[in-house]
Amino acid sequence: MADTASASQLTPPPAARRFRLLSDRRLAGLFISPALLLLLFLSIFPLFWALYLSFTDYSATRDVPSRWIWFENYGDLLTSPQVHERAITTLIFVVGAISLQTLLGFTIAYLISRRVRGRGLLTTLFLVPMMLSPVVVGLFWKFMLDAQFGVINSFATSLGLGSAEWLTDERLALLSVIVVDTWQWTPFIMLIALAGLTAVPKYLYEASEIDRASEWFRFRHITLPIVWPLLLIAVLFRAIEAFRLFDLVYILTGGGPGAATETLSFHVYKTAFLGFDTGRASAYGVLMVIVVIVLAQFYLRYLNRLQER
Amino acid sequence: MRTRAQRAATVLAVAAALTGVAACGGDDDGAAGGGAAAATDFEAKLTDKPVELSFIWFEWPPAHALEELGKEYSKIRPNVTVKVNTVPIANWHDAIFTQFAAKKTNFDMPILDSQYIGEAVENGNIVDLTDFAKKHVDASAYDPYFLAAYGQYPQTKTGEPTPDSRTYGLPLMGDTWSMIVRKDLIEEVPQTWDEMIAAAKKCQEENPGMSGLAFHQANATDAAAVTYNTVNGVYGGELWDPEKKQIEGIINNEAGQKAMDVLVNQMKPLTPKGSGNWFIDEVNAAINQGKVCIGFQWIGAMAGLLDPKSSKLGKSEKEILEKLEFSTLPKQDSDFVPLGGMGMHISKYAPEADQAEALNFMKWFQQPEVQTRWAELGGVPGRKDVLASEAFLDAAPFNKVFTDSIGRLRDFWNLPEYTKLVNIQTQNVNAALNGTEDPKAALDKIAAEQQAILDESK
Repeated sequence: MADTASASQLTPPPAARRFRLLSDRRLAGLFISPALLLLLFLSIFPLFWALYLSFTDYSATRDVPSRWIWFENYGDLLTSPQVHERAITTLIFVVGAISLQTLLGFTIAYLISRRVRGRGLLTTLFLVPMMLSPVVVGLFWKFMLDAQFGVINSFATSLGLGSAEWLTDERLALLSVIVVDTWQWTPFIMLIALAGLTAVPKYLYEASEIDRASEWFRFRHITLPIVWPLLLIAVLFRAIEAFRLFDLVYILTGGGPGAATETLSFHVYKTAFLGFDTGRASAYGVLMVIVVIVLAQFYLRYLNRLQER
Repeated sequence: MRTRAQRAATVLAVAAALTGVAACGGDDDGAAGGGAAAATDFEAKLTDKPVELSFIWFEWPPAHALEELGKEYSKIRPNVTVKVNTVPIANWHDAIFTQFAAKKTNFDMPILDSQYIGEAVENGNIVDLTDFAKKHVDASAYDPYFLAAYGQYPQTKTGEPTPDSRTYGLPLMGDTWSMIVRKDLIEEVPQTWDEMIAAAKKCQEENPGMSGLAFHQANATDAAAVTYNTVNGVYGGELWDPEKKQIEGIINNEAGQKAMDVLVNQMKPLTPKGSGNWFIDEVNAAINQGKVCIGFQWIGAMAGLLDPKSSKLGKSEKEILEKLEFSTLPKQDSDFVPLGGMGMHISKYAPEADQAEALNFMKWFQQPEVQTRWAELGGVPGRKDVLASEAFLDAAPFNKVFTDSIGRLRDFWNLPEYTKLVNIQTQNVNAALNGTEDPKAALDKIAAEQQAILDESK
């Protein structure tokens, strides 16, 4: 009896007894409403607004009313050779940067996971580039890669390797952007891969050791299958980020030489702010969102199937 | 219980309502001050309350000089503080026009490149100063081309004002390119463009480790475009036919192709390796580091060449000047030089009191003694008498270059489509200079793409 009495004393009265209007459901709604409102004003409304503008010839600066032009902006963009060129540049960048980052990130994570001493310090040091602003990263790499005054050419020349036009040579400029992006974002892949690697149950390795499995066998049949889904999620995040790359290109090359490093996002920026073709830029943005959503859907389905196995 | 469909419909309805609200908001012109009418009776609207008269310009020495000059203005208007806000040159256009787009500006007086006027006027972003200029500006004190290029729209030709043109700005900072020659390495200053190339080549061959030339090649703002325009002008080319709005067949005619060929095949090989993204700072650095024999630079950006702290050419300005000669551009088939510089304008969205103060500043700025002070601080004034005065000519060793270049100035399109046109030109000239595109193909592409922009605007 005493236990029952003390238990009833400890149980708080239902919210409805204190404030009749404030039911649990309403309270929950009240708590999430600030976040919902922010989402509505900062994400959903701009998205709908951009969608609406994409069907018009609206310009943010022109002092004339906009016209409803249906799919004209979409048609122009989808048939524009310039857009096709930028799409190819973006594709090369995304594939190049993500492949390199995945390979390096996973390798570093694998090596760190095998090293016990100093693991925390090493991980922290590797994460430093990721914590820097892309604009700052772009600026100091621009100085380092400068053909005349840069430290990289100076170092290469002192080693007798000669100098290169890292940012103005058509073949090297995109590679330089890929390398700089890789320098900054490899730690992200590394971090996710490290989380996956540390989650692999130790007993699996112990069992394989008893079975005298080779190092490669253990990696191929134990480590990789467990880490792979997590790694793919990291790749998805990075691929979406890389697809909308703007800041590094803006700072490092300005899209040059010519348009050799001009990505889709950079081209959207030019469409939006050089001449203020707001309607067309909105359509461009909507198309990019659609591409990302469609590709992400395929990717997530693959990921789900992988996890169901 | 509400269904999912009902909830979705509610969200959509709210979004649609918000869209409607925003659309209605977009129709509001948002003008804070007044337009042409306000420009005539401004003196009555001056206030004794504290006012911060704010300019917006890009980061370079004249911007700081203007803020310094503003202190002189504060002596006669103690309640006014002049503030010059600066942005990196690559963001200059965007920083101004994105605020114009919002119909609300945090500046009162935008300093616009002469080519931006068309865009600002057509969109109704700047105050019409025609009546103010008639009443308070002595037009005869200026070269007509200055008034036309830095303030009028539609832009008139040199010395031929048209009755249709109205005034939207007044000259603030004149500018053009100067040729900077290492006189300790090159005996005589070249007089023709061909001589200049030959002298640069000879100097490069005689001085291992040095390059013959340094000029703007960057794929940013108007950098590479102005370089091509300059060579195009020197070789007798034209950029367009303003009457017919025709570019195709004009910019890429024989003279235009010759200019592109000279630029890419004769001048580019004489530049330092990797200079394909060089603009103002990099050219100055190359000259200061003693890496080039001949450089080309805007006069407004040349003050840094005389600073012993950043130059390896001498421990004092005198020592530096023993090695550098500043000269007008060489001539060839023609004698055009590029018009740089900017006019000052008034934002239509500035408060009325600030607009009145801005007009008062403009009136004050027209005085010869103020323009002389402006020159002493490093500015290039617009008045003919000041440009010819000893005070201006002695203020900096390169000032005479501007005075001598006045009759040769040529601007390019100040149409509302300017940013699109210049982007096409800068990108393709940069591509040709860096070997990404064949020079002739790049020029033809410029002509075709620019023509498409003009045709679309007709």
